[in-house]
Amino acid sequence: MKQAVVLAAGEGQRLRPFTVTRPKAMLSIADRPILEFTIEALACNGLRDIILVVGYRKEQVYDYMGSGEKFGVNITYVTQETQLGTGHALSQAGDAVGDEFLVLSGDNLIDARTIADFVGVGPQAVLVKRVSDPQRYGVVNIVGDEVKDIVEKPKEARSNLVNTGIYAFTRDVFKFTASTLDLPDVLNAMIKEGYTINALETAGTWLDVVYPWDIISLNDAVLRGIETSLGGTIETGVSLKGKVVIGKDTVVRSGSSVYGPAVIGSGCEIGPHVSVMPATSIGDNVVISSFTEIRNSVIGDDVAIGPGTVISDSVIARGCTIKGRFTALGGTTDVRINGESPSINVGAIIGEDCKIESNVTAQPGVIVGNFCQVQPMKLIGGRLPDRSLVY
Amino acid sequence: MCGIVGYIGAKKALPILLNCLGKLEYRGYDSCGVAVSAGDLQVYKDMVRVKALAKVVPPMSGTIGIGHTRWATHGEPSAANAHPHCDCAGRIAVVHNGTINNFLKLREMLAAEGHTLASQTDTEVIPHLIEKYYDGDFARAVERALKDLEGAYTMIALMAGESRLVAARQDSPLIIGIGDRENFFASDVPALLDYTSRVMYLEDGDIAMVTADSVKLRNGGSSIAREEHKISWSVEDAQKAGYEHFMLKEIHEQPKVIRDTLAGYISAAEPVANLAGAGGLADTLILASGTSYHAGLVGKTIIENLARVPVRVELASEFIYNGQASSRNNAIVITQSGETLDALKAIKKLKEEGCRVVTITNVVGSTATRVADQTIYTRAGPEISVAATKTFLAQLVALYWLALPYARVDISRLDSLVEDLRRLPVKVQQVLDNESLIAGHAKRLAEYENIFYIGRGINYPVALEGALKLKEISYIHAEGYASGELKHGPYALLGSRAPVVAVVARDNTYDPIIISLKEIKARKSPVLALVSENDETIKDLVDSVITIPDVDPLFSPVVNAVALQLLAYYVARERGCPIDFPRNLAKTLTVE
Repeated sequence: MKQAVVLAAGEGQRLRPFTVTRPKAMLSIADRPILEFTIEALACNGLRDIILVVGYRKEQVYDYMGSGEKFGVNITYVTQETQLGTGHALSQAGDAVGDEFLVLSGDNLIDARTIADFVGVGPQAVLVKRVSDPQRYGVVNIVGDEVKDIVEKPKEARSNLVNTGIYAFTRDVFKFTASTLDLPDVLNAMIKEGYTINALETAGTWLDVVYPWDIISLNDAVLRGIETSLGGTIETGVSLKGKVVIGKDTVVRSGSSVYGPAVIGSGCEIGPHVSVMPATSIGDNVVISSFTEIRNSVIGDDVAIGPGTVISDSVIARGCTIKGRFTALGGTTDVRINGESPSINVGAIIGEDCKIESNVTAQPGVIVGNFCQVQPMKLIGGRLPDRSLVY
Repeated sequence: MCGIVGYIGAKKALPILLNCLGKLEYRGYDSCGVAVSAGDLQVYKDMVRVKALAKVVPPMSGTIGIGHTRWATHGEPSAANAHPHCDCAGRIAVVHNGTINNFLKLREMLAAEGHTLASQTDTEVIPHLIEKYYDGDFARAVERALKDLEGAYTMIALMAGESRLVAARQDSPLIIGIGDRENFFASDVPALLDYTSRVMYLEDGDIAMVTADSVKLRNGGSSIAREEHKISWSVEDAQKAGYEHFMLKEIHEQPKVIRDTLAGYISAAEPVANLAGAGGLADTLILASGTSYHAGLVGKTIIENLARVPVRVELASEFIYNGQASSRNNAIVITQSGETLDALKAIKKLKEEGCRVVTITNVVGSTATRVADQTIYTRAGPEISVAATKTFLAQLVALYWLALPYARVDISRLDSLVEDLRRLPVKVQQVLDNESLIAGHAKRLAEYENIFYIGRGINYPVALEGALKLKEISYIHAEGYASGELKHGPYALLGSRAPVVAVVARDNTYDPIIISLKEIKARKSPVLALVSENDETIKDLVDSVITIPDVDPLFSPVVNAVALQLLAYYVARERGCPIDFPRNLAKTLTVE
C-alpha cells in the first residue's frame, strides 16, 4: 500500500462556534491541526503519496499543508464541492488513485501506531477499535476476521468494535460510491454483493472530536507525547519543568513558570510573572500579561490575555482580546446537545475574535460564539450566539 | 531584467537548467535558451516560455551549462535575440542580465575587426570580446573583456572544452549555490531551492571562476572571499499547493506573513529603525516605486498621524533625476526585491547627500541591504506572482512598527494600537473568508473596460494600489483617485459604463466621501463600496458593498488592500488572464 486518500472536506457542525470559520480537520490540538497528525502517521508508515479531499474552507488546508513538503509527503488536492458524505468525498478522488489505497478521515486523531499493522493488510479491509461506548459510533459486527455489517449508532450494540473510518480499498469501491453517499453504507453494499471485508483491530490512538469541549481532553492526551524543544528568548528567572515546547521569536519574561506538558507557539510575549500550567497549548502571536495562570486549556493564535487572569479547562479561539482579571474555571456542568445532557467538566468555550473587557467571569460550560463583545464586570453563562453583545 | 542560471557538476545539466529557469520566469518570459558543453557547445533558444522550450529542446548530455529567460530591453523578443549568445566560432556562450551602455561602440569596433554579430542585442558583444582576448586562458579573457563594458553586465560565460564557468556581477544580482561536488548560478534564490540551501551573494565587480568542486572569486584584480549564507526559504514557498495561481496563494498567506513580520520585531518600546538626529521621524523622506510606493504613501500618513511630523514620499525613478535631500533627512527606501535599479540609484544619491538610509526589503542579502545604513526585513517569504500582494502588507506592518515608538499619543492609545496590530492576522483572515462574496462582485466588474478607484486620507493610496492590481493582471483600465479630486476632471468620464470602487473608512474622511459618493451616483456610475461592518448609511447610498471587518481606521489600509487584491484577482480570472505572468511585465526591475 503506497497511496492514501485523506478526507478533510467536512465542516463539523457540532463543533461550532469553532467550525464557523475553519474546517474540522484544521482545528488546533497542541498547536497543530488535527489533520497534521494523520499526515504524520501516514508518513511514518511510509505512505508519502497522499490525496487530500478538501471542500469546506479548503484554502485553510492549502495554506497550512501546502504541497506536503514540510511533512515529507506529496499532497495532491481534490475538491468535493458539496459535502454529501464520505463515500461521495472518496469518489472525487477516483481519477487520482491507483489500484489499491488507504482511506482515512482527516478529522480523527491517530498516531503512527494506529495504522502500523493496517498498512500491510490487503483490501478490502476496515480498521476497528474496541471502545466502551460503542453506541456513539458505527458498530462493526464481525465473524472471525470478516465484517458482517456496520450499524450506525445502534440503540443496542452487539459488539464493542467500532468503525474508525480507516479503510483499505481497491478501485472496486468506486462501483459503489457512485450510488451510495457514505462509506459505511458502501461497505454494507459491498458485503451484499459478495465482497469479503476484513477487519483488523488496532490498539493505537483513535480519538474523535465531536463537541467543542472534546478539544480539551484531546489536547491533554496529545501533550503527553511531546518532546522538549525551546526556541525564542527565555529570560533569566523563568522556571521550566517537564516537557515544554516554545516556538521561535517567542519571549518568555522573567518570573514566569512553564510547567509541562505545554506548548507555546512562535512570536508570543509571555509574562513577566505568568504561569503556564500542565496540559496547556498556546498558539502563535499570543500576548499573556503578568500574573495570569492558564491550565489545561487551548489558546488560539493572535490572542491577547490581560493581567491577573485565571483560565482552566477552556478553549479560546484565535484573535480574542481578553482584558485583565478574567476568570474562567472548570466545573461540572450539564450541556444539552441533541436531546442528550452529558455531564462534563469544562471552563469556557470562546469563539474567534471576541473582545472581553476587564473583570468578566465566565461560568463553567459557557459557550461564547464568534465575534462577541462583553462589557466589563459581566458574568457570562449558557450559550451566546455569534456577534452577541453583552452589556 | 532577465533570469540567468548556470550548472556545473556530475549530473546532466539540461534538466537542471530548465527547472531553474522555470522558477525565474517571473523575471521575464519573452524568450529563453540554454547552452550546454560536452566537449562541443550545444545551444538551443527560441521565443517561447521555458515549458515549451523543454518539450522541443534536443537531448544534451553535457554536465556544464548555462540558461537564460529574457525580458526584452535591447532588441525585440525573437529567437535571434534570445540568449545565450555566442562568439564567431560558436565556442563561447554567454547569458547576461543588465544593459550595456557602450554596446554600439563595441559592436562597431568588433565588426570592424571582422566579427559577425547575429542579433540586435547588447549582450552579443560579450562573447565576441572574450573571443578577441582569448589567448589560452578563459578566465583571463573574460576579465579582460569586462574591462571594456560600461553598464550593468551580470553574466555567466561558458566555453567549449573548459571545465569551469566564469561569471561576473555588476548591478544585477547573481548568486552562487554551493552543492555537493556541484555548483550553481542563479539570479535569485528560488531557482536553487530544489538543489541547495547554501548560497553566496556576489557583489558588484566580483568575478567568479567556478568548477564542480571549487569557487574562486576575484574583485579589482585580487582574490577575495564571500560569506556563505544558509537559506531559510523552502521549496514549499515556491509551489502553488492547491491554488490555481501563485497570486491567490500569496494573498492567502497574508495572515501568516503579518504574524511572521511582527515576530521579527521585539516590542513597541524598542525602535526597529535607528534614526539619525534628535528629530526622529521629522522630515523623513520615503522613496519607492510601484506597489512599494503605495506602501510608502500609506507610511506617510501613518507617520504623520502618529508622530505628527511632516513626511515626504517620492517615486525613486523621479527622485534620482531632480530630487532634493539634505543631510538632516532620514530616508526610508522601500524595495521588495532589494534589487530595483531605481531604488538602488536613489540610495546612492541619498548617501552622497549625507542622509541616513533605512531600507525595507524582503530579500536577505540583496543589494539594497548592503548599500543602506540599516535594513528592516519584511518576512513575507519569496513572492512569485508578478503582482505584489503579501510583500505590500508586510511593508505596511514594517511601517506601522517603525512609526509606533515615535507616536505622540497617550499610553493607553498606544497599547490599544499595538494590540490591534497584533490582531490584524485574524482580521485579514476574515476578509479571506469572505472570498466567495468578493468573487461575486468581481464577476460583475469584469465586464467593464474603465474602472475608477477612490479613497481619501490613509485609504487614498489603497485606492491607487487597488487600481494598480486591477490593471496589471486584468488589463482593465483602472485609475486610482483621491475622492476629493474627482471633481477636477474625472467627473467627465463617469457614467453607467464607468463603475467606481470606493474605499470608505470610518475616520475624519467619512463625511466628505459620502458627499463624493452622492455626486458620483448623480452621474449614474455603478458604485461598489468597501465599508466597515454595520455601516448602514453607505449601504443605502451605493449599488453594492463589500463588508470589511472593523479595525482602527489607522489599520484600515491593511484589510482594505486585501479585499481589493481579491477583487482584482477574481476580475482577472473571470476574464481568463494569465494572472501570475501578466503580459509585458516582470517582477524585479533591474533596468531603468
